[in-house]
Amino acid sequence: MSVGTRQKGRRTAAPAPRPPAAPSYVSGAASVAVRPALESPRRPARVLAAFPLALYLEVRSECEPHVIAVVTGEGVRLPNAVLLGESLDGVSAGDDGWVGDGSIEIGGLSVGVRRWWDPAPALAPADPARLAAAPAVLAGIRAASPRRPGLDPAGAPALLERGCLRGSLVESITAAEQLIGLGPGLTPSGDDMLAGLLVALRHLGRAAGAPRAVWLADWLAAAVTFDARTRTTSISATLLHCAARGEASPEVLGVLRAAAGHQPPEPAVNRLLRLGHTSGADLAWGVQIGVSAVLSLLGTGAAGGPTGPARRERP
Amino acid sequence: MTDLVEVRPGVYHDSVTLMRVSQALTARPEVAVAVVAMGTDLNAGLARDLGFEVPPTTPGDLLVAIRAATSADLGEAAAELERQLATTGSGGGKARDEAPPRTVRSAARSWEATVALVSVPGEHAFAEALDAVEAGLSVMIFSDNVPVEQEILLKDRARARGVLVMGPDCGTAVVGGAGLGFANVLRPGPVGVVAASGTGAQQVTCLLDIAGVGVSHVLGVGGRDLSAEVGGRSAVQALRALDEDPATELIVLVSKPPAPEAARAVRDLGLATPVVAALLGPGEDDLTAVAEKALRALGRDVPEWPCWPAGEAPAREGRRPLRGLYSGGTLCAEAALIAGADTATEAGFVDFGDDAYTRGRAHPMIDPSLRREALRGVASGVVLLDVVLGHGADPDPSSWLAPEVRDAVARGVDVVVALVGADGDPQGLRAQAARLNEAGAAVFTSNAAAARHARRLADG
Amino acid sequence: MTLSMLYGEPRVITVGAEVLAEALDRQAVPQRRVDWRPPAPGVAASLARVLADPRRVQANATAVGRMLSARPMLTGVRPAREALGLEAGTFFHAGPPITWERASGPMRGALIGAMLFEGLAATPEEAAERLASGAGITLDSCHHHRTVGPMAGVVSPSMWMLEVADAEHGATAYCSLNEGLGKVLRYGAYGPEVIERLRWMGEVLGPALAAALERCGPLDLRTLVAQALQMGDELHNRNRAATSLLVREIAPAVVEAAPGRAAEVLRFVNGNDHFFLNAGMAAAKAAADAARGVPGSSLVVAMARNGTDFGIQVSGLGDRWFTGPAGVPDGLYLGGYGPDDANPDIGDSTITETVGLGGFAMAAAPAIVRFVGGEVADAVAATTSMYEITLAEHPAYQIPGLGFRGTPAGIDVALVARTGVLPVVNTGIAGRVAGTGQVGAGLVSPPAGVFTAALDALAAA
Repeated sequence: MSVGTRQKGRRTAAPAPRPPAAPSYVSGAASVAVRPALESPRRPARVLAAFPLALYLEVRSECEPHVIAVVTGEGVRLPNAVLLGESLDGVSAGDDGWVGDGSIEIGGLSVGVRRWWDPAPALAPADPARLAAAPAVLAGIRAASPRRPGLDPAGAPALLERGCLRGSLVESITAAEQLIGLGPGLTPSGDDMLAGLLVALRHLGRAAGAPRAVWLADWLAAAVTFDARTRTTSISATLLHCAARGEASPEVLGVLRAAAGHQPPEPAVNRLLRLGHTSGADLAWGVQIGVSAVLSLLGTGAAGGPTGPARRERP
Repeated sequence: MTDLVEVRPGVYHDSVTLMRVSQALTARPEVAVAVVAMGTDLNAGLARDLGFEVPPTTPGDLLVAIRAATSADLGEAAAELERQLATTGSGGGKARDEAPPRTVRSAARSWEATVALVSVPGEHAFAEALDAVEAGLSVMIFSDNVPVEQEILLKDRARARGVLVMGPDCGTAVVGGAGLGFANVLRPGPVGVVAASGTGAQQVTCLLDIAGVGVSHVLGVGGRDLSAEVGGRSAVQALRALDEDPATELIVLVSKPPAPEAARAVRDLGLATPVVAALLGPGEDDLTAVAEKALRALGRDVPEWPCWPAGEAPAREGRRPLRGLYSGGTLCAEAALIAGADTATEAGFVDFGDDAYTRGRAHPMIDPSLRREALRGVASGVVLLDVVLGHGADPDPSSWLAPEVRDAVARGVDVVVALVGADGDPQGLRAQAARLNEAGAAVFTSNAAAARHARRLADG
Repeated sequence: MTLSMLYGEPRVITVGAEVLAEALDRQAVPQRRVDWRPPAPGVAASLARVLADPRRVQANATAVGRMLSARPMLTGVRPAREALGLEAGTFFHAGPPITWERASGPMRGALIGAMLFEGLAATPEEAAERLASGAGITLDSCHHHRTVGPMAGVVSPSMWMLEVADAEHGATAYCSLNEGLGKVLRYGAYGPEVIERLRWMGEVLGPALAAALERCGPLDLRTLVAQALQMGDELHNRNRAATSLLVREIAPAVVEAAPGRAAEVLRFVNGNDHFFLNAGMAAAKAAADAARGVPGSSLVVAMARNGTDFGIQVSGLGDRWFTGPAGVPDGLYLGGYGPDDANPDIGDSTITETVGLGGFAMAAAPAIVRFVGGEVADAVAATTSMYEITLAEHPAYQIPGLGFRGTPAGIDVALVARTGVLPVVNTGIAGRVAGTGQVGAGLVSPPAGVFTAALDALAAA
């Protein structure tokens, strides 16, 4: 998912050594997903990309998320985001920074966290009638919107949908393997689709009482995150790790709440569809497949298949 | 000495802002005294008592009175005043295209909000809070001195609208991670809190946070909510709302002992979510015990609550007087109960957050001057104080308190501090503790533990 | 119960202590600050009572809903004698009721002119004497008789009136015909040319318009006003577009109905950019009257001045007037006139502001912002600030420059008392001395006390 389309130019043609000025202290709100990275000892980091409303900071660390989005204004609250009240001037791709010991240092700013938010809030039990109608409702709103996903429905997406609806691990994982990193951009369409699917399976599976869907989410998540860092962009790999744990932006979570019958679907889906170039449409598509799969797996128990992989605890 | 006295009709700033401006001016070496305040009878009288010649004012006028050595100094002070006033209330200096809204009603019409935070003087709070309720927004009323019949009316309208009134006189709330009023930086987690006591809720949630357990939401209801008159109107709604909230696995209810009617109302709700009640009073669990109970209910371990004992004090002879100088009412009551439970002879517990001390000045969590005076007046014995960290509170309490502690210890006074804060708080929990401890205070994150320690010290 | 604030991103409206707002900024919580100021001393108690009235919200919705849904139609032109049952010696006037003793220069001048016009006196001196003695003379407020009049607003039996019917609620409202600019009765002039013009209006203009309207009427004034707003009128101090639209509508019918006099009638109407003002006022009066008499409503249904007092009436308080001293407008002066020549504020034309036009729609009329002493940004600020004290936005009257936002409509006395924001009124300025005529135009503020007095009365009701 990208948060802007226009990369900001570098301030200077030749990289000059930064004068060791005292940082200006600012504060913001962070996803608890990045709390481990922030509370670890200080590590070097690098700006992967800088847009007017967001920049992506890669931390040299094995733990996930290893990319932190620093977001300002109306920028998208990605699940790995730190929100700032101030603007993000003067930072360019390639700049060095630090993350850890409670703060983020970048471009003369030292960011402290004054609020923590949960990128994977629990979903209240789903209204069965609303949930049953949700795939058709989602499909209708998606069809009425000019926003289109970035991939052809035939091929891997079709295989993914079939596999999920049947609860077939082999088909789902085969399709997911093909989708990782598929498509252009910072967050390839295939990854966005998988992210939408993963959070929908996990949250709606739990909210609808479909353990088989949660089981499928666990296995798919394990497969998708296993070698994500080598298969797609760093930003996208981090967002897949987040999705694997059920973490998503408020736009995605709003559509899940709508599918569960807790808020009107039309505005929620349209808010999601507006994200990025195709990201919103890709995510919405993934969510729709997830909703359909949850419905189709309702009533089928977890028994019969292998037990899920060891669940990661949320920090 | 020359005086500058000015009355600016129709210029309004809130009292906390003006107090900060007055302090900044008075802190300048060339300024003898400065009063920058709204032209209420109280403030005008204050300026006249200081010897200023004040023309008639109304509460809608800004009153400026500055005294300095020379007229050049006065000019500099006046320029500083303009700088100070220009930087307040501008939302960080960002220019807006359109004029800001003048009422909550107007703000809610032009901007999609989820909650309103009202902290205007109490007699004016009703209109703004009612605006919020009528616009379908929940509202936190930080203001005190709101008549009880207005409180009841607001709460009844809110129930009909499906929104919540937090307050009046609600000091703290955390909604969706956002701290409103005096609030700590708490991690998200499974505990929902309904609180008729702000500092009580802060103590419980800070201890939980130290134990690694976060909160879903902290919903203040105001100190009067569980009285016979108000009957727990907001507490009932808040409990029901948290019961519906999928993120809340356990509810903690913090209140002074409720009136029987209110107790019945909150008891008979048939909630699906377990509730741990902290009903502050004799024979009840203290706040620390409530936090521990909540941890056990969640199947979590109870840690050792962090504390920083003072260095070896010289042996004291016999019983000594114990004074409690508090900014939080509930913390004060809890400490008095614990410290005085067996003797009931100590009369030395003062809540500086009480209305009697906050008339015409800011809350002691912001303005330490009265407590500092009181601390300086203690010649011997044991002093117990609370320091509450978090949003809205003093940005660096140890900067004034540590030197005072050092002086007190030098006078032979034992100082015990109950430090209520979370690791994420902007002041830095551990840094504040270390500075106070270095100055010679025994520091506890549990107020109950601090009170027991103080009792032991006093008993000799 | 499900509490919506518990789900999703918190977005906070803050009002009060800046330190609490700053704490939210540091948490990057989206926030809208209210620029709150304390209301006038003594208002809080009445305000709380009025706001607590359980009828208020619904009553105001009903009242303002009726005001905004009115469909005023220009149905005819008739003599006041016939339309209003006005008898010889009875005169209606602008604003709250007033006696000859308290009447200002222009009001006295207009009454003298009306006496001369009706043939009740031969000379101005005789007219003044009879008016002062009161013998056979009855004065009453236009507003008491479904009528409004600009400036002095004097109506006598032989004057011809525009008749406007509210097709939605069925009521009727009246306003006299506009005499044009310069020395005219409504500004207190009563010279021979004034009386002569009134005669012509009764003999030629009135009958011709009546006959024309019989052919082409009724005329939908709601639509016409909506169009004029989008063409740069605010319908109080600028009526050029509305007048042009009116002429376009009626010209063929005037030619057919009065072929012999059509040229002079049309030339007269066309030559007066404010000809439509009176039709717009009658339309506004019809809409405002529809909102009267809703118990518990704090909606203002009339703002009017008689040159001495500024008065308002409130929907929930019947026909009671709340009056205070009329202010002197602040504006631009014609020729050699200056503020010393100005009479205090006068006229019923504030009925336009009462329904969300005039000063409330200033942002629609950039052409006249200079006339009232400001920049375009001031006009936008004036309109924007009126949303603070109004209950609704007009569904039909929209302002292109504000993204076709509806004009702020329906003044709430509670909101005025709370915020201290007073209605912005555009107005013409009459000369202080009877017979002078217009000396300028500008902006005026009502006295704040009338709104707090009405609030106190609502609280006591």
